[in-house]
Amino acid sequence: MSDIKTLHILNKPPEHPRTQQCLEALNPGDALLLIENAVLAITMSVEAEVAVPVFALAPDVVARGLGQSPRGASASLVDFPVMVNLTASAQNVISW
Amino acid sequence: MSTLIVIDQPPYGSWAGREALDMAFSLAAFDQSVSLLFTGAGVNWLRTYQDTQEIQQKSVERNLAAASVFGVEAIYADEAASRLYRLMPDNTMAGVTVIKDRAALLRQHSHVAFAG
Repeated sequence: MSDIKTLHILNKPPEHPRTQQCLEALNPGDALLLIENAVLAITMSVEAEVAVPVFALAPDVVARGLGQSPRGASASLVDFPVMVNLTASAQNVISW
Repeated sequence: MSTLIVIDQPPYGSWAGREALDMAFSLAAFDQSVSLLFTGAGVNWLRTYQDTQEIQQKSVERNLAAASVFGVEAIYADEAASRLYRLMPDNTMAGVTVIKDRAALLRQHSHVAFAG
């Protein structure tokens, strides 16, 4: 995983005001990690709208029954160990 | 005299929704007329195939399956929110009535309470 400038970790549902602020703060070289309620954004193909790599925490995705989405969201599903690696490889981390 | 409990909180993120569901079941258990409306991010409660083993929580899908046993009259889902979150008939729980006019539904009930 090439070095990530800023890893944005988002756990807010799509309609939460902080979600929009997070999406607006994404810069080239950053990455977005969706966890808890934020994984609901993959029902709206958020990953197609942002210009940075988007990861989603698999246990939260599967818990919400989103593992079945036919289209197969193009957010990369990660497990907890990979999540830890992402945070370690990022220069900065913002937990929204 | 009928009560509508509205759940607009997403499942698993907070306990607000579960508390509202417990309240609805308690009302139904005491033969009060009660229905549930899921709107906003709350419609995600109604998605099928919820596998919550990895997050060590009981699936809300199973909680909701008990609704008819308790005597909850109806489970409604807001159509606009269902479309926003891409809930289709094939990934939505059985027994859910999709409604267009949320305001009208609220007016039909003598008591309305929101989760959280």
